Amino acid sequence: MSAPVKEFFIDFQRCIGCNACVAGCSECHTHRGKPMVSVDKVDPAHSAQTAPMVCMHCKEPTCALSCPADAIKMDENGIVHSSLKPRCIACRNCEIACPFGVPKISEEIQQMQKCDMCFDRTSAGKKPMCTTVCPTGALFYGTMEEMKRLRPHSKPINKWRFGKQVIETKLWVMVPHDVDEVVVDWPELLNGASGPIDLAVKLKEYFEKHGVPDPEIREPLPESMPEARPDETEEAEFL
Amino acid sequence: MRELADTLRYFAGQLHWPSVRNASLLTALLVLAIVVGSRNLQNFDAALVGYTYACVAAAFAVFYRYSVWLTKPPTKKFWRRGWQLCFQPALWKNLRSPRILGEAVTRKLVVQDFVWRRSPARWLGHMLIAAGCLLAFAITFPLVFGWIHFEMGAVEPDHTYIVSVFGFHVHELPLAGFFSWLVFHGLVVASFMVIPGVMIVMYRRMMEEGATAVQRFSRDFLPLILLFVVSFSGLLLWVSYEYLEGYFFTALAQFHAWSVIALLLYLPFGKLFHIFQRPASLGVSYYKAANADKDPARCPVTGEAFAPKMQTDDLKEVLGELDFDYSAPDGKGPAWNEVSPRGKRILIARAHSIARKHKFD
Amino acid sequence: MATLPIPEEKYIQEFGPHVTDTPVTGWTAKPEPDKLVKTHCCFCGMQCGIQLAVKDNQVIGYEPWEDFPFNEGRLCPKGVKRYMQTHHPDRLTDPLIRTENGFRKATWEEAFDLIVRKIREIQERKGKDAFSMLSGVSLTNEKSYLIGKFARIALNTANLDYNGRFCMVSAGGGNKKAFGVDRAANSWADIPKADVIYVAGSNVSECFPTLIHYIWAARDRGAKLIVADPRETPIARTADYHIPVRPGTDSALNQALLHELIRNDWIDHEFVENNCKGWEELKKSVEDCTPEWAGEICGVHPELIRKVAAEWGPAKTSFLLHARGIEQHTKGVDNVLSLINLVLTTGRIGREGCGYGTITGQGNGQGGREHGHKCDQLPGNRDIENPAHREYICKVWGITDEELPRKGMSTVEIFKAVHDDEIAGMLTICFNPLVSHPNTNFARACLEKLDFLVSIDFFMNETARYADVVLPGSLHEEEEGTVTSAEGRVIRVRQAITPPGNAKRDTEILLELARRLGKEKYFSYNDNEEIFNELRVASKGGTADYSGITWKRIEEEMGVFWPCPEEGHPGTPRLFEDRKSFHPDGKFHMHTTPYRKSHEVPDAEYPIYYTTGRSVFHYLSGTQTRRIKFLVEQATGPICEMHPKLAERLGYKHRQIVTIETRRGKLSVPLQITEAIRPDTVFVPYHWAERLSANQLTVDALDPVSKMPEFKVAACRIRAATKEEAAQLRKDYSTLLQEAGA
Repeated sequence: MSAPVKEFFIDFQRCIGCNACVAGCSECHTHRGKPMVSVDKVDPAHSAQTAPMVCMHCKEPTCALSCPADAIKMDENGIVHSSLKPRCIACRNCEIACPFGVPKISEEIQQMQKCDMCFDRTSAGKKPMCTTVCPTGALFYGTMEEMKRLRPHSKPINKWRFGKQVIETKLWVMVPHDVDEVVVDWPELLNGASGPIDLAVKLKEYFEKHGVPDPEIREPLPESMPEARPDETEEAEFL
Repeated sequence: MRELADTLRYFAGQLHWPSVRNASLLTALLVLAIVVGSRNLQNFDAALVGYTYACVAAAFAVFYRYSVWLTKPPTKKFWRRGWQLCFQPALWKNLRSPRILGEAVTRKLVVQDFVWRRSPARWLGHMLIAAGCLLAFAITFPLVFGWIHFEMGAVEPDHTYIVSVFGFHVHELPLAGFFSWLVFHGLVVASFMVIPGVMIVMYRRMMEEGATAVQRFSRDFLPLILLFVVSFSGLLLWVSYEYLEGYFFTALAQFHAWSVIALLLYLPFGKLFHIFQRPASLGVSYYKAANADKDPARCPVTGEAFAPKMQTDDLKEVLGELDFDYSAPDGKGPAWNEVSPRGKRILIARAHSIARKHKFD
Repeated sequence: MATLPIPEEKYIQEFGPHVTDTPVTGWTAKPEPDKLVKTHCCFCGMQCGIQLAVKDNQVIGYEPWEDFPFNEGRLCPKGVKRYMQTHHPDRLTDPLIRTENGFRKATWEEAFDLIVRKIREIQERKGKDAFSMLSGVSLTNEKSYLIGKFARIALNTANLDYNGRFCMVSAGGGNKKAFGVDRAANSWADIPKADVIYVAGSNVSECFPTLIHYIWAARDRGAKLIVADPRETPIARTADYHIPVRPGTDSALNQALLHELIRNDWIDHEFVENNCKGWEELKKSVEDCTPEWAGEICGVHPELIRKVAAEWGPAKTSFLLHARGIEQHTKGVDNVLSLINLVLTTGRIGREGCGYGTITGQGNGQGGREHGHKCDQLPGNRDIENPAHREYICKVWGITDEELPRKGMSTVEIFKAVHDDEIAGMLTICFNPLVSHPNTNFARACLEKLDFLVSIDFFMNETARYADVVLPGSLHEEEEGTVTSAEGRVIRVRQAITPPGNAKRDTEILLELARRLGKEKYFSYNDNEEIFNELRVASKGGTADYSGITWKRIEEEMGVFWPCPEEGHPGTPRLFEDRKSFHPDGKFHMHTTPYRKSHEVPDAEYPIYYTTGRSVFHYLSGTQTRRIKFLVEQATGPICEMHPKLAERLGYKHRQIVTIETRRGKLSVPLQITEAIRPDTVFVPYHWAERLSANQLTVDALDPVSKMPEFKVAACRIRAATKEEAAQLRKDYSTLLQEAGA
């Protein structure tokens, strides 16, 4: 009897931005000292929202197909690996082409490195490091049955739509039951936006239009505000 | 084994005829060069004919694979861009283009400092193997093609050899002396480089968990084994000839010949093909240099400059040729590959929040 | 003893903090470890299980410990990177004695001689209690117990206190008043079974990340999550109800919630009548506490309070969690009691899925506060002023009542006594008041006044710079012992390696000092297990009864929950299953908590609320985490979170450097503009020292019961930083990222 197949699930909403996944990722033997997981502050001006990203291991990897050097290979388990060192010419096509923003080029060693789902660990029957340490379950590794049992309010899907392009991935993303694909339709969001803050404002308008429950009672009550004390300004460019 | 099977499949049913044509032409040129270079096979060493056949076969396969490789849209794009930028008049001001080339060749092909940064031991191993192989090829190919030919020269006062290249006498070499020792022992020197190189690389492959996790036999061990067998049997030949009065020489020579033929035939299929592919990295240097002072592509989400505009444009075209459609749904906004990696990740997280209707469940 | 002889930079140059992010064997291929040591993370009260990879007496990495039931391998970034501290270049490896040029290396002999001579001199001159000891609860139970005994017998001083005074004492005070016992009432295993979870004043996502999993497990079952916090922290962001309460008004909020419970009769009358005491007074006390009344005080919408009450009131099961957010106040105990009232009136305690607990902040914040580490306490959570308790401990220790000091001063009181010349000497271990003491400028002035200060630590913390003698002690991974996690689980901490250089194990240092102070006969232990076994006897019959717990049992059972009065006893993950409290009358005591204002609230001069807290990337005073590059890069230095409305009003923009001023000091920091905070409040994390210390601004007023200072509320004003202040801040920030050897 073969061992039950374990899958990788990602649920962005649970991320608390602790970066444990990033810290743990450095331990991977295939890219020691260099984390391949990203945790991004989604909209720091408005909320504490953060989101992790690992390689989604596309069934038809855009990175591999856009590689001029044939350096990116998918193995028989559907894992898309870091570029083959002898071939990679560090052209950065994969970095720019990947729809999930995952591969990382190291100019230093002239190689693209990326999350390979902790191949050193998964091939030895262990969980990927990020899913083991993730304190919230935003990143989870287990069987499909286990996941469905543990999180009955969500369902795993692996279909993404970037504009017109549909991408299927090996990894699963948790969404409500009435959703069948994650639609990333940036033009609506991007029209006229000229930077992160601007974008955030537009997105906020979006949510307001689409309804957040009881917005008025969620706000703190107004407060008498102190007077401005105009002065010289010094910026912390190091932040 | 998968890669081997993949490559074999090129020949099995998916022959790419334009590439067959290209490869045939180039191979024919090589054969012509052999015939002419050896003065109508006059200088051709019949004992080496097996090697010659293997070389020609390997050359055909290398040409074929290279040609097929160049038909891939991203490769084609880079190939064309590379040449175009190389000869771009703007880059010839102050001889910038040759300087770029010079620097790229030195760093990426000769010194290979990027391999040093992967690990010094790895660099040493790779350097030894690379230099040893190049030296061995530089000796073997002209010999088996009959391009270099040695004849007995004078006897008095010293024994000499007359060296002819493409049938032209170019040098007379005293038989004794360091230089000629080096010439006649070039292959021995090469094996003394390749063997330790293989050992260093093998050791790493066996000891490092990172390497052991992802390596594959056909891809990573087979070439090392081949290199070792060739070098070691070659070395034994020399030992037998020099010190053991030809003990077991014939059998060894045959074994060595077969191992070399196997290595030559492996060349186009496996890891060693990178020798031919690697110069493509020079194109990347041109890409960078040509775009260094131009406006970069800026991410519409984060505002950061993340790539040369030329590259995002080229890539958009390439992705189209690959049947991906990452353009904006309304046709107006930026394509998905014109958003920076971080911008994409942020928008994906946003998209997920929207899919969850901004509720947490 | 007087001011620092050399500039701060020189100390940093020699002793750090420097950052490093390289395993001792480098980032090149990792060697095969000799062994994996199953132990626990050294940070925070979760005490996650972790395996340290050891080779040749070096910690070369870690492996998650997935079999440990609490965290099943989960870790936060501090836990992941923790192994970087072990062989850090800043480690202290020799005793140091203060000179005019900073410190010089000394032998142990020399250092011990000097310490013993000075202790005797000070005590002869000014009395026994003039030499004080301050400790911390990142230490094991064995060390905590030993320190309690060491201070009372070897130093023979009443003035021993600990840094839990800045952390958990309000919770302890409230727990003892209501339950007669100081422990979370349930193991965390009850959290996933709750239908409603109310988290009051805890940024669980940053302070206790591995606990988040339990909360989501409940939500996966459909549980509702309520979070009260002035900031929209990551846990508040996803909560069903986030109450953005104004700092220092929690008890008013809870009184209004109780008012609503009573008005809607969501009361477990049977439980309240049979098992509680004080119901009538309590009921009467909240009669006028309407949501409108509280809404005004707390700055939240009354409707939100009603909705939250409607979730909490009728629920079948619930779990209430709180932490420093409601505890670090001059009314911290009241805040705790106001929350306990919400648990008791609904009768949801002592049953499956019905729980209550404070989330202990420090590594051994639970165990360390039970065994005589506090100025008023003896082992087993006994009262040092209770004659029966004194008698029992005197018997265990083999001393007479006269030899056992009485109740001493609490931490802030000790500092004030130093300032008033009553206390002249101090021994600190695992304590860095220059970061953690409220009003740090006052704390510094006190350190400068001390005649003699000894610090035991593994790194040169900022307080130790003021010491006359610094003794190199041991890390969590360098000594055997036990700790008690926030859920009351006693677990084993393992020695993975020996201390580096001439550094010694902390117990070794204390035992040697005791010997040299002539008290050897009270301190003869062959190993730490013997200390634990004595602790078991000493705790027997107390509320925190460890007598049935052995090291062997802990290892076999993956931890044992106290109370565990005998060896056959299974331990007690869930308290009060018999519906009885630990009070002699067996009743749960309800206390009224009339709302009163914080010690300092905004006024015309200082119009903005100032509050402090933690970052997920640092632990306490940062002595360890400020040396680990990954963590420092994620949170380099303090920043000030400010709402865009306030920023707009003041005319400041994101990343601008501002200076925050209170009546006690000023602090220059960059602004982080975010909507995730109340517009009337600014927030600064507190992990840094000297010019970057958020506690330069805090109030040292104390809770009358727990003696907890008010870290969470102060009144401040904000102005743009001057050029000089901004330049200094830039310099300080770059210092924080300085690498060793650079």
